[in-house]
Formats: sequence, structure tokens, C-alpha cells
Amino acid sequence: MRFSRRRFGTLVAATAGTAALGSALGACSTPPVTRDTPLRMLAVNHVWTQAIRKLLPEFEERIGRKVSVSMLTADQLASSYNVKLNASATDIDVMMVRALQEQGLFAHNGWLADLTPRIQGDPDFAWDDVQPAPREASTVAGKVLSVPVVTERSVLYYRKDLGPPPSTLDELRERALQLTDRQKGFFGFVGRGQRSGAVTQWSSFLYSLGGDFVTDGRSRIGSPEAIAAYQYYGELLGKAGPPGATNMSLEQAMPIFAQAKAAFYVDADAIYSNFLDPKVSIVQDTVGFAPFPAGPAGSRPYNIPSWSVGINRFSRLQDDAWQFVRWASSRETVEKIQAAGIPGARTSVWADDKSLATFPAELAASMRVNAENGVGHDRPKVLQVGRARDIIGRPLVAGILGQDVPPVARDADAELTDFLVRDNRHQGI
Amino acid sequence: MSTAAVLDRAVPVTRRRRGGWSWLRGVAITVVTLVFALPVVWMFAAAFKTNVQVTDPTVGLVFPPTLENFANVLADGAILPAMGNSLLVGVVSTVLSAVLAVPAAWAVGRFGMRSTGSLVLVARIVPAISLLVPWYYLFAQAGLVGSYTVLVLSHMFVSVPLILWIMISFFEGLPVELEEAARVDGLSAFGAFLRIALPLAAPGTATAAVLAFVASWNNFMFALVLADENTETVPVALFSFISYASTDWGGLMAASALMTVPVVVVALLAQKHIVAGLTAGATKG
Repeated sequence: MRFSRRRFGTLVAATAGTAALGSALGACSTPPVTRDTPLRMLAVNHVWTQAIRKLLPEFEERIGRKVSVSMLTADQLASSYNVKLNASATDIDVMMVRALQEQGLFAHNGWLADLTPRIQGDPDFAWDDVQPAPREASTVAGKVLSVPVVTERSVLYYRKDLGPPPSTLDELRERALQLTDRQKGFFGFVGRGQRSGAVTQWSSFLYSLGGDFVTDGRSRIGSPEAIAAYQYYGELLGKAGPPGATNMSLEQAMPIFAQAKAAFYVDADAIYSNFLDPKVSIVQDTVGFAPFPAGPAGSRPYNIPSWSVGINRFSRLQDDAWQFVRWASSRETVEKIQAAGIPGARTSVWADDKSLATFPAELAASMRVNAENGVGHDRPKVLQVGRARDIIGRPLVAGILGQDVPPVARDADAELTDFLVRDNRHQGI
Repeated sequence: MSTAAVLDRAVPVTRRRRGGWSWLRGVAITVVTLVFALPVVWMFAAAFKTNVQVTDPTVGLVFPPTLENFANVLADGAILPAMGNSLLVGVVSTVLSAVLAVPAAWAVGRFGMRSTGSLVLVARIVPAISLLVPWYYLFAQAGLVGSYTVLVLSHMFVSVPLILWIMISFFEGLPVELEEAARVDGLSAFGAFLRIALPLAAPGTATAAVLAFVASWNNFMFALVLADENTETVPVALFSFISYASTDWGGLMAASALMTVPVVVVALLAQKHIVAGLTAGATKG
């Protein structure tokens, strides 16, 4: 291309014009904060968010400011945070985050405000009343970055019309294999089988068989316990589960149980209402709920803070945002929300039978047992959780497909070891 | 044998040949149509099913239909305002893009400004996600995030290069002699464009405008980041049917069906122009 003086001039003028426009826009002052400026919350589309919206008028009246809640799916929420907070967004005040999924990365990027001084200076908030495992998950490098509002445990969903629930993992496998009748399209067990998506549900099997993802900063997915967990879950889902199980996440697995096409299903207790809703389920009269079956290491399901609320470090309404976090996670609010069927993280609320009255009695009992035995994480505590889940999920898929698990697990173990070195370096460990 | 007789004998041979291949052509058309139409048919069918029927693979295309999903979607009150937002942003961004890009395409086509055209095409080459952070920063500083202005501007970023490049080849296909004759009769260069080239380019403009409108109507990423709850467009609003632990498939499909209808109507109305527009310029030279 011939680059004439005229063309060069045009290019320079265009560049200068763009830069000037950018500078002019950049120099525009952000609108000032007034009493009319709403407190903005970016949240996941969750029953908790819908419940808290209904309670908002009392909070708005108290602080004299409107609260605006935008709801997105979990993945979109993470994408929005990544774009907006990279640009130091001030139009998000309260952030709904997954303490175990993205909080570490957000902390690393300095996007979440440190809540420690506010919590320490507010004895009425009763931080000690929050369950220990979720409390620990909310803390990064000694700083409290979020407050848990929704907790989850894995639970065994079973069909009451097919007999009592199994109490051990061996019994679960035996019964599931017995009940499977592929000719009739009935399966003994259904669960998540997708490489990354299955990792969280598999964690309860891993812990109950005596393993963990990482201990003392080292990968443990090549340990005999982890290999046993991979083989157990692979056999259970591969032989007693539906075809195409490796493509199944929550959205695919749940309807199979809801359609009365499976005898047992292990997933989060937070989804129980789907099975009681006649619009989506035909097992509302036959579904039962049981504690996670015990393995050689006992019954060790996860008990995690699935969703927490934190404050955007760039927010210009930090005080009001804290008032919101304080109110939304207070004993009084958690009581109301838990009574509506959404489990929170307050120990005192769990101790109160009234707060569990709306749950089916069997589920409430199972949730209590699972909460007592629970492990505080359902995925490795690393910065790049998605990458780690991909690595951990590989032997899981191999097991479901009936492949030889030990070599794949050893390979994945080496990969996770390399990954942890890089991830720890990023974390400054 | 006369020439006519030879031709008479030749016709059946051609027909036989065509007949030999026509079944394959029919199969190919059927397969392609099924592949493309099946998801759409499934979507419309699911819109009339209950959630239990949607997730039950044994329920195919024969089932007792329900209008409950449409009633719920309309009662929910989120989709109709979002459709209004999408319509507003789509129409305004398309009209403004056409006002900018059609004369620009004429200038690029007539005066050989190909390098300038290539520069505009960079906007289509750069991944949109990489532009979102600086855009968001600048628009947030200007207090524009959440406004229609920012959505229209961001959608124009996609529409202007699209319209420009469709129209360049269109204008290049028009005989330059027509404009030269107009110039001889006393019109200015821009007058020749306005009175001669632009009316002749109407099919191309219609094609480009419809494609730009569809691109705007379906754009998800810009609205996700730059809109707020009052200005969110349909693709973002659709996700309100997907929650953390469950998906309202019936509602989602009913809302998707509603979202599809305006685009199908626009495409059908402009179909004649689109076909003429897409083929114009193909035989230039």
C-alpha cells in the first residue's frame, strides 16, 4: 500500500480524533453520589436473591436509599465482574460471589473490600455464629472478604417406594446395580458426569473414601483413596447410570430423577424443591432424602457456602453496602429466609427447629447430619479453580467410560502438581 | 440424422442424468433442512409443553399443548419491555449505521478507498470482548452505562462495518456511466449519489439494514455488560428463566419463540430485497 503524505495526515488526524474523544469521555466526571443514587447489587438468579428482594422494602426504608438488584446466571455474573471490575467499576456496590469458585481470584485482583475491621468492630453482627466451614471459606490471607448467605451439602435423594435408603457406599452401589434395568429405561443411580461439573459432587465420595484434592499444598488425586473414589464413582455411574452420563451436569441429571427414571441421585440439597414441584417432577410423593452414605472414612459430604455477599472495593457507597451485607446475613433475615426453605450459614438459626419447619422432615434431619459431618470445600482451594477442576475431572470421565483409572489418575496427579506450583506462585505462597 | 433429431435424442439423456442425481439432491435438501429446522421445531414445540413434558424424551411432537408458558412469560413482565428495548436499540443503531455507512460505501467503491474500507473492517476483526473493558471504563466515566446511547453506539460498532462492506460491492456493481451522465447534467458528486446511486442501491441497503438489525437484535454480550435492568435487551432477559438450581424450560422456549417472531417477520417482509441485494454485484465487470 502506497503511504502518501495525505493518507498519513488522515491517519494521524483520525488517531488524534479518537484519542481526543477518549480523553474527553475519560475526563467526564462520574455522576456524583446523591440520596437518589441506588445501592446496586449484582447477584445470581437464585431463590435466595428472589427472597431477599421481597424483604428489601424494610431495608430501603431503614437506610433511605433504593436498592437495585440485577440478576444473572452464575457464568454471566463471573464474566460481568471480570469486565466491569477490570475497569474499576463504581456501579456495583454489593457483589454476590462464590467463595470457593472465584473469591480467591477476586481477592488476588483486589476487587473485594476487606470486611474484617467492620466485622471486628460490630459484636452485634456475631461473626462467630456463622458455621466454621463457611466462615473459613470467606477468609483469604486473614481477611474476611465475604459473608456466606447460602449453604449447600450433598444429600442422597432416593425413591421411598423402592425401599429404605442405603447407609453405606457399598450398599448404595449394590442396590443401584440391582435396580438398574436398561431395557426399561430405568437406572439405579444418576449423578453429574461432566468432566468439570461432576467434580463438586464427586468430592463427597472422595472424602468418604478417605481422600482429598490437595493436602499441604500437594496434589492427592493420585493417592490410593482418590483412585478408589474415581473407580467407585465410575462404576456406579457407568454401570448403573444412564447412557451419555459424561455429558451430564445438574441440568441433565436432575430431570432423570424427577421423571422417575432413577432410584438414587446425589446432588446438592439446595435443589430439593425441584422434586416437590409437580410442574417439573412426578416423584413429589415418592422422593426421600437421606444423609450421604458412609464410606471407609465415614459419611463426609461437603458443607459449603455456595453463595456469599461482599463489597466492591471501588464502590462509592461502602457504608450502605456494609449495612446491606450486615442486614442480609443477620440472624433475623437468615431466620426468615431459612424458614422459606433456603438454608443459610447461621449456627443459631440451624439450632432453632422453627427455621427448618418448611423443609420436609427427612430432609431437615439429613441436612443437620450432613452439616455436622461436612467438609468445608467441594473443590480444591486454588486461584484458577476452573483449570484445576478440568484436571481433576479427567480420571472421573475415564472411570465412567470404563477405562483403566490408575494410569489416568497418576497422569492427572502429575498435571495437578505442576499446576499447583504455578498457582501457588500466583498466590504468593 | 438431422440436427433436430439429434437434439430430440439428447434431451432424454440430459433428463436421465438430471433424474439420476435429483434424488440425491432431494436427500441432501431434506437432510440440511432437518438439521437446521429441528432445533427451531423443538423450540416451538417445547414452548407449548409443560416442564415435565419438555424434559421427558418420550414426549415428541404429539402432546396436549398448553399456553401456560406464554401466559407466564407475558405475566412475568420482563420480556415485553426487553423486546421494546431491543426494537429501539436495533432500529436506531441500524438507521444511524446506514446513514454513516451507505455514503461511506459509495465513496469507498467509487473512489478506490479500499485501504480506508479495510481500516473499518478492523472493527469486525477485533474480538468484541477485548473492547468491552476500555468501552466500559470510558462510558462509565461519562455516566452513560445503562443508557440507550451506549447500547446504540456499541451496536453501531458492529453494524457500520457490516453495512459498509455489503454496500461497497453493491455500488461497485452499479454502472458508473449513470452518475457521470448526472454530473454532465449539472449534479454535484454527492447529488449524483443521492439522486442516482442511492435509489438504485435500495435492495442492497435493505439487505444490509436487515442483517444489521438481526445482528443487533441477537447481540448478547454488549447488553450484558453495558445495559442495566431498565435497558436490558431480549437476549439478556431470556436468561431470567435460567436460575442457579433450575431452568424453566417451557418459559425459556416460549420467550425464545416470541423473540424469534419479529426477526422472522422482518426477514420475510424484506426477503425479496435481500435476495436481490445479495446477488447484485455478483456479475459486475
